[in-house]
Amino acid sequence: MSTSAARLQEPVVPATPEARKEFETRVFVLLQEKFGATLDPLDQWGLTAVLDRNRLHDAMQFLRDEPSLRLDMLLDTAGIDYLEYPGHDLPRFAVVYILKSMVFAAHRMRIKVRVEEDDANVPSIHDLYASADWQERETWDQYGIVFTGHPNLKRLLNHCDFVGHPLRKDYPAQRGQWLLANDPMIDQLEARLKAKGYQILESPAPTSPALEETSFGRKK
Amino acid sequence: MATLDTPAPTPLATGIVGTPSGTAQPPREGLDQNILTTSIDALVSWGRSNSLWPFPYGTACCAIEFMSLVGSRFDLARFGAEFVRFSPRHSDLMIVAGTITYKQAPILRRIWEQMAEPRYVISVGACACSGGFYDCYCTVQGIDQIIPVDVYIGGCPPRPEAFIDAVMQLQEKIKDSSYVRDRANAQHERIHIG
Repeated sequence: MSTSAARLQEPVVPATPEARKEFETRVFVLLQEKFGATLDPLDQWGLTAVLDRNRLHDAMQFLRDEPSLRLDMLLDTAGIDYLEYPGHDLPRFAVVYILKSMVFAAHRMRIKVRVEEDDANVPSIHDLYASADWQERETWDQYGIVFTGHPNLKRLLNHCDFVGHPLRKDYPAQRGQWLLANDPMIDQLEARLKAKGYQILESPAPTSPALEETSFGRKK
Repeated sequence: MATLDTPAPTPLATGIVGTPSGTAQPPREGLDQNILTTSIDALVSWGRSNSLWPFPYGTACCAIEFMSLVGSRFDLARFGAEFVRFSPRHSDLMIVAGTITYKQAPILRRIWEQMAEPRYVISVGACACSGGFYDCYCTVQGIDQIIPVDVYIGGCPPRPEAFIDAVMQLQEKIKDSSYVRDRANAQHERIHIG
């Protein structure tokens, strides 16, 4: 089932507009009954179901495992900052999950979770979708939304000395921040090698970035 | 003593020792053809400018233009700089081709520090020169905030001809430099830049 050769044997469901409409109607009814989903009034491009964050993990598991839905691919996780958005009186932040099925071509949808600024945390779904690991790290890095239960919620795109979250609307877009010493990433590298079955024979001695000496300047 | 039938040693007065006396050139004539005089500055600068070893620091699309430059069509080898090295310790010309982020900045600086002196830097394209249109939280607004730059090339990305022009300008700059003066300065103080 999981190999591409086996997938070719499955009946192809073409992504016609009718098939998309049928899927959207069906999946929204299911989400409404089981998890109390509502429709996103701002949505213009297909189905976006808004969920409470406490029901998010169960709902994602259902969408992934239900044989008639099979939304088994998490394309992207994105943050949204609605600060100064015209006419917006809902919570400031939202996290959007974009889902797609690798079996049914017409099956694709988005899940949105809204969070307030002073309580910006969402349960992690890295255990359901492996791709959520780095996507959640990126969303935390750029928007400051915490994914509770994430095993390694470090910055992904910005460097380790960065202060703040640059894609928040109240971050000055042109304010750069210098990094003085190399961003150490050996821990992630070793974890990845171990996960692939390699054995670490020798590790470099743990050094603090503060001790890295360059003529560029000492950190702090 | 002379039991073997060998030629007699050549007298010093008639030529170079070890050559048969009949074929040796008079020493005066040989010197005329094989010795030239110049200043050490001119000699060293001539050597440096015509044997640049580039280190490609390519982070974006300008590095594709560098590939074009060292390829057969534009052929940087004509300027003596075809020997692209991927170790900074082998190189004396750093070609920064692409966007440099703040996360990348310490790496660029460290690699530049690892290059042997005299070292030269060409900043290729809008991003490396000024940040380009990435006027944002993540992009260094010009690599000259981190390392000294000898030649800037504009463009997004520049044409290979602009690249060649930059290498020729750098060669002119190197030919103008004084090895003797730099060496005298270096004895008094280590030059700190940046």
